[in-house]
Amino acid sequence: MPFATAHTVSLHGAVGHLIDVQTDVSPGQVGVTMVGRADTTINEARDRCRMAIINSGLDWPATRRITILLSPADLLKSGTHFDLAVAVSVLAAAGSVPASSLAQTVFIGELTLDGNLRASAGVLPMVMAAAERGVRAVFVPEPQAGEASMVPDMSVVGVRSLSQVVAVLRQEEIPEAPPVAPMSGARLLAWRGQERLDELDLADLLGIADARFAVEVAAAGGHHLLLSGPKGCGKTSLVERIQGILPDLTRDESLEVSAIRSLAGTLDPGEGFPTRPPFSAPHHDASKASLIGGGFGVVRPGEVSKAHTGVLFLDEFPLFRADVIEALRQPLENGDVTIARRDESVTLPARGMVVLAANPCPCGDYSGDVTNNRCTCRETQRRDYRNKVTGPVTDRVDIVRNLRPLRTHDLVTDLEPAESSAVVRRRVEAARDRQAERYAEESWRLNGHAPGPVLRERWPLTKAGQQAVDKRVYDGKLSRRGATRVHRLAWTVADLRGLEHPGLDEVDTALRLRTGDPLLVSMIERAS
Amino acid sequence: MADRLARVALAKVAEPGNPRLLDLVTDLGAEVVHARLLQHDELGQRLAEIEPERELDAAARQGVRFVVPGDEEWPSGLDDLRSADPVQERGGVPIGLWVRGPLRLSRLEGSLAVVGSRSSTTDGADLAADLAATVGRAGRAIVSGAAYGIDHAAHRGAITVGAPTVAVLACGADRVYPAKHQQLIDHLAAQGAVVSETVPGGAPMRVRFLSRNRLIAALSVGTVVVEAALRSGALNTANWATRLNRQLMGVPGPVTSAQSAGVHQVIRSGAATLVTSGEEVLELLGAVGEHVLDQPRGKDRPRDALSHVQRRVLDAVPVSRSATSRSIARVVGLAVDEVHTTLQALERSGMVECDEDGWRLAALAHD
Repeated sequence: MPFATAHTVSLHGAVGHLIDVQTDVSPGQVGVTMVGRADTTINEARDRCRMAIINSGLDWPATRRITILLSPADLLKSGTHFDLAVAVSVLAAAGSVPASSLAQTVFIGELTLDGNLRASAGVLPMVMAAAERGVRAVFVPEPQAGEASMVPDMSVVGVRSLSQVVAVLRQEEIPEAPPVAPMSGARLLAWRGQERLDELDLADLLGIADARFAVEVAAAGGHHLLLSGPKGCGKTSLVERIQGILPDLTRDESLEVSAIRSLAGTLDPGEGFPTRPPFSAPHHDASKASLIGGGFGVVRPGEVSKAHTGVLFLDEFPLFRADVIEALRQPLENGDVTIARRDESVTLPARGMVVLAANPCPCGDYSGDVTNNRCTCRETQRRDYRNKVTGPVTDRVDIVRNLRPLRTHDLVTDLEPAESSAVVRRRVEAARDRQAERYAEESWRLNGHAPGPVLRERWPLTKAGQQAVDKRVYDGKLSRRGATRVHRLAWTVADLRGLEHPGLDEVDTALRLRTGDPLLVSMIERAS
Repeated sequence: MADRLARVALAKVAEPGNPRLLDLVTDLGAEVVHARLLQHDELGQRLAEIEPERELDAAARQGVRFVVPGDEEWPSGLDDLRSADPVQERGGVPIGLWVRGPLRLSRLEGSLAVVGSRSSTTDGADLAADLAATVGRAGRAIVSGAAYGIDHAAHRGAITVGAPTVAVLACGADRVYPAKHQQLIDHLAAQGAVVSETVPGGAPMRVRFLSRNRLIAALSVGTVVVEAALRSGALNTANWATRLNRQLMGVPGPVTSAQSAGVHQVIRSGAATLVTSGEEVLELLGAVGEHVLDQPRGKDRPRDALSHVQRRVLDAVPVSRSATSRSIARVVGLAVDEVHTTLQALERSGMVECDEDGWRLAALAHD
């Protein structure tokens, strides 16, 4: 039969489309035509496949006309991983392998001229997409078999060369082939102190009870957090310990994180499923593309996506470029990020906790406390700096905390030793369990991600609580968006306290967290 | 029966802060009152059943001693309660104080009481701790309760600087209330003192807090209220401080804050003096001339030292492009000679510069 179809997957952000690679080999003017909106990398597949097939000792139908269609034809496709599917469909159309063996199977891999395979980025999301569409078997380059095996109920064949693929399809003995080099060289560079964050514990931090509580709430409900305070008051130390109080990833979360890492080409399948939430702390000179995502051709996930299910920490937040700060709006509000190009628009998940830290002024010493103020900035400098901090982005932050410089009385430890990360983590886990139960039927997991209208309708505040929020809105002290955030926070505070429903005190706590007013000591005591 | 033993027996039967009984004890002596009450039917029987020595032994086993008037460590400030009118039917010099901890109560002379809301803000707690630390560093002891919020913060501040600190409880001195403050109360019992008018084992009943508050005010020479809502026990203590002629001080908070409304009220009524730091508290508590603070003021500016005419002339000197004495004189409306002399004086003090086109401001005057 001069016609065959092989399947592969084309990625658009984290969305994978199942692509039929249909090949027709029939008499006519000799040549190879490829149709179906393929970009340059795929058009070059013709030459790679031809040489790979010939150098594998197989027959290239050189005397006939070969037409290759990538279907659906309207979708722009790119990526070198189409090679294997193209080669296999040509071989099947030419009768070198049984065309029936290609059904319900996806082929992923780039070919070299000698017929060996190369690893490609994004195998995990491709296999996940294939599984969604009912595919039950995949051929992937050998180093990525582990990655593909993360998808349940999928039969994965890790192969080194085209000849091995053909042998499997013909059910023959598998020939030897040189091993395939893995994707990334990430492990080449390792250094001491790399695992520094794992060693940090909340028990090392003294004082700042207010901010500690805020961090706990943020972690429990996945809320965004802004910490402001003079330099040296413990902002960074506190944020670096957030990862330690987050619970282990669920299987779903773990798969999402793996998929994003796979797109970024940083997934190390040897490590298996990631269990700990990611922590990403880009430097303040980061470009918009590195933070939000982008790149040529295939869109690479940025830091906001790499921090999905974990923490994205922007230290010295006002020093980030204005366009970068502006670009944060969408991920803060929606938990995803859309990168629009001429031909395509790609949406990636970006549902991590965003933590912003800011000094009160450029020199970092300004304090509202007159006895402690060593600031050397001019008033205009301070104003400009403040204007960068406030605005559309901070309106999308759930919790605002102003830290004070450490005082001597913060250093007393024998009265109440600081709680360890393990203790706080247990509370966060319990609060997340309550949310998981409540939102079992919903598309979100945490209070911080719950849509406002649904929350108001199905999980409303008490009458008194709602009145307290409304009063702030009427007084102009809270925006509508802020009111929704208070609503979410109130639920998280209730979850931390093990309550069935948030009452007036939980709403008051939420209002204070949101507006930056100091918490009451009793609010902190009640959580522990 | 000896005075001390009579007092133990009376303390067992009398509710703390009962003004009638306490005044009788102060005026007639404990032995007399004890003897009289023995003749009372029901009360007499209860009194007769008490074995004061055993009570004292039992207390001693808990590390609690009974301090009575006339003891070396009896704090004389408490005697002022004799002449003060009762508040909410509580008052009088206590029959004795049950004390746990190494600190002698006589050490409380010149001490500061720090009181405020249990549900204080974290900012208020920080302020209280800071204030207690500053006052403690000056060698004064701190007196407070043992509640959440301001009380806890005040002790923490004092402990940080190693200052003597005392908690006055409404329950027995051997008990821990609130239970979560076990560590704080243990620390005070080991380093400072835990004091109560209630007999060991006594429960923290509501009315006992009212009696307790008068002791906090009486044991100290001044009371500072850090955060108190409109209905707060701290205001009861403040009331006692006024009644006992103690220095009453209030630390203000944000004007809209419910946690500070009570403090603002006592300041507004004129009962309390506004303080913002431990230094200001020390100035108020100290003898005349002790701990005097400089008036807080803004930074000095070079312009401050100028005369009226000099300022007028300086205001007319352009910032960048120079102007002649004549044109400046026209703007100011003064004689050219006078303006010229003034400008020369200003040049000597570095406020203006002179070039071939005339005068302009020097960098010093930009501020």
